[in-house]
Amino acid sequence: MSTALLEMTGVRKRYGGVQALDGASLTAVRGEVHALLGPNGSGKSTLDKTLAGTVVPDSGEIRIDGAVARIGGPRDAHALGVAAVYQQLSIVGDLTVTQNVVLGLEPARRWGFLDHRAARDRAGAALERFAAAFSGRLPLDRPAGSLGPGELQIVEVAKALARGPRILVLDEATASLHKEQVEVLFEVVGELRAAGVLVLFTSHRLDEVFALCDRATVLRNGRTAGTVELADTDEAELVGLMVGDVPHRAPRRAPATTGAPAPTEAFVGAGPEARPGAEAEAEAVPGAEARAGAEARPGAEAVPGARLEVRGLTTERLRDVGFTARAGEVLGLGGLQGQGQSELLLALFGAARVSAGEALLDGRPLPLTSPVRAARAGVALVPGDRGRQGMFATRPIQENLSLASMRRRARAGLALGAAAERSAARSMVERLRIKLGSLADPVSTLSGGNQQKVVIGKWLLDRPRVVLLDDPTKGVDVAAKEEIYAIVRGLADDGAVVILNSSDNRELAELSDRVLVLFEGAVVEELSGAAITEGRLVAGALRLAPGESL
Amino acid sequence: MNVPARLRDLRWAGVQLSGVATVAMLVVAVAVNTALQPNFWGGYALTSNFATFVPLVAIAIGQTVVVLSGGLDLSLGAQVTLASVVAVQVVDGRLDRLPLAAAAALGVGMACGALNGLVVALLRLQPIVATFATSFVFSGLALVVLPTPGGSVPIEVTTAYRDSVLGVPVALLAIVGLALLWRVLRGHRVLRHVYAVGGDAEAAYASLVPVTRTRVWAYVLGGLFAALSALAVLANTGSGDPFVGNELTLASVAAVVLGGTALAGGRGGAGGSILGAMVLALVTNIVFFADVPTTYRQLVNGAVIILALALAGIPALQKRRPAA
Repeated sequence: MSTALLEMTGVRKRYGGVQALDGASLTAVRGEVHALLGPNGSGKSTLDKTLAGTVVPDSGEIRIDGAVARIGGPRDAHALGVAAVYQQLSIVGDLTVTQNVVLGLEPARRWGFLDHRAARDRAGAALERFAAAFSGRLPLDRPAGSLGPGELQIVEVAKALARGPRILVLDEATASLHKEQVEVLFEVVGELRAAGVLVLFTSHRLDEVFALCDRATVLRNGRTAGTVELADTDEAELVGLMVGDVPHRAPRRAPATTGAPAPTEAFVGAGPEARPGAEAEAEAVPGAEARAGAEARPGAEAVPGARLEVRGLTTERLRDVGFTARAGEVLGLGGLQGQGQSELLLALFGAARVSAGEALLDGRPLPLTSPVRAARAGVALVPGDRGRQGMFATRPIQENLSLASMRRRARAGLALGAAAERSAARSMVERLRIKLGSLADPVSTLSGGNQQKVVIGKWLLDRPRVVLLDDPTKGVDVAAKEEIYAIVRGLADDGAVVILNSSDNRELAELSDRVLVLFEGAVVEELSGAAITEGRLVAGALRLAPGESL
Repeated sequence: MNVPARLRDLRWAGVQLSGVATVAMLVVAVAVNTALQPNFWGGYALTSNFATFVPLVAIAIGQTVVVLSGGLDLSLGAQVTLASVVAVQVVDGRLDRLPLAAAAALGVGMACGALNGLVVALLRLQPIVATFATSFVFSGLALVVLPTPGGSVPIEVTTAYRDSVLGVPVALLAIVGLALLWRVLRGHRVLRHVYAVGGDAEAAYASLVPVTRTRVWAYVLGGLFAALSALAVLANTGSGDPFVGNELTLASVAAVVLGGTALAGGRGGAGGSILGAMVLALVTNIVFFADVPTTYRQLVNGAVIILALALAGIPALQKRRPAA
């Protein structure tokens, strides 16, 4: 075998409390299609980005053609012949397709004045192979923002191809493509391989990996677990590499018993008199009364014992998702990241456009049209991007804690008692063991784990019936993780339905009573009890599990 | 870096007036002016109207470039002041020094822009805060250069500025010239990158656009147009004034908004801003001819901007309604 075109060794990158790459290495040769595989959070995308220059590693060495490559930015990577198709596309929506394809490398006449014709020619040539995807007419002059997801993906691919790379990084480049478009892309990749280009290929579809790639490097926890020849490897072996030799732990929680547990004192407090602003339909107290309400609605019979029922939920990114959950149950959402888990949580919180389907909470329809209505009905969301969606970073901790439940304490719907706010916040701080200087400090002064506790705590004060957690321990240190786990269990013990999306399979195994595995917006597998192991979760995520249901 | 991202999160920042709305406002403003101002369409009134438009048009184009890049320049008015007092001190009433004075003004404007650009793009201060601070530096410098109103512009310049060529006012030709300069810049790589950075800085960075350099260039171009605005101010008034630019800053932002450029960046263009500047100037005219005291001028200007934003927000509101 010829000498390596690309050698990455000991690459490390830390984001806050998370070691995304912990000494990863990768060696690949000219004319090879090399897959980069690994479970969620194993560092695939980060490794891709260090090569493409959008992430600068903390340490490590990258050699291209044997020479040490210093990649301080995308322009350095380009100079070395690296082009990348990013999972989060690098398309500027306000520019036209042509302008996007040539962006950064615009053909120009003298003095930097643009050569529009040359730009169109170049974009046209790059997109021509994919003409079928645009039903024959290339949208060269259309704003990129007006294209569909598949079309955008193709523009992103064409843009990378137009740069004439020696090394092409394809990070989930097929995710939004139709089958025919994938075939065209595979043809192009085949030609590049024949021309001696190295293609690094990351995909959540394992069948594509086997169809296209020569070798695969598997990452696990930011380290390289091994590199294999795909011709003499089977799927089970790959999953073994991804999961490692971790003993298969059974979940610590015993599955919840059927029937709603007795509501705790705190929960009884959530009765009608304590909710002046709540809509009548959201007032149902769990139990017989709610079920009676459901029986009054023909065609919407509630499953006995189910607190939350979801039927045929469909959005732009979800396909016909249905499930039931009992009070006190922790329902995990597994699968590779970005398969619709966050979208499902957003949809249940009324923050996604639902095109079909319905949800019943305690037998009554749950409005899926606005977060305010969802919150009134007793649904709480702890968003994934806590910095942007979950809190007001520069406002005091006390205010952040009391925000969601303000309505409950407001006298006559108006005045907020400072003393009531303070005592509620203080009891929450004690209950959640949030380490802080003063309630008046801004949330941004807290550590990541304690910030997350504030975000969760704000909803606890609202005594929710359904708690939606979107990767609650992402970027949180180990000790805070354990405390958040305790809070999650506490919520379930109080009778709430907890739906937990987690990119960490160990976390799912530890906390969940059941796990729904999602793939491309649909539930493809359900695991429960002792079947929830990391191996089963990874296999399910890659759709390799026995008893795969479609 | 911080502010564009934040601005983008605010809904109003994404709000954009459509070209139709801008033109409609211009038509209404012209109609009301025609009704109120005697001989609005007469040669003299037309010439003097256009003469007062030019400074605002120039600074509005400069503000457009900065806003398109995802920034905001609150020091543009102060740059007009500084560039104009420097030019008036250089020219000192002598026609032969005119090229030198013009070069000095342009140099001052671009230097001010470069300073703003470096502070915003390299030190990553919020544009609003950074340029507000530098505006005091520029105003202070202007007072050092010319402590009290004075200095004189060659009479040939002021006469020519109010003249007309083949019945077309010179000031109107100046506006056409500014529009052409914008067209030329649009064909340049830097302005393409300005649009890309303002539209999505991260995608632009990943696409090999030199983001920092582009941001600096946007402010430099803003300064260039501020300097052109300063020259127009001098040609119009005939003398220097160390406070002349004060009101132009907010007017430039208003013209950009009225012209349909999104404050979040990346969308819009100077064509709309030119129309927006004319609408603003005509509103000022209307207020004058309707015998409204000058004290109320700013109030009316503010009301017009709010009205325009409200009009622009209506389609956005409808889109926001959840599906039934």
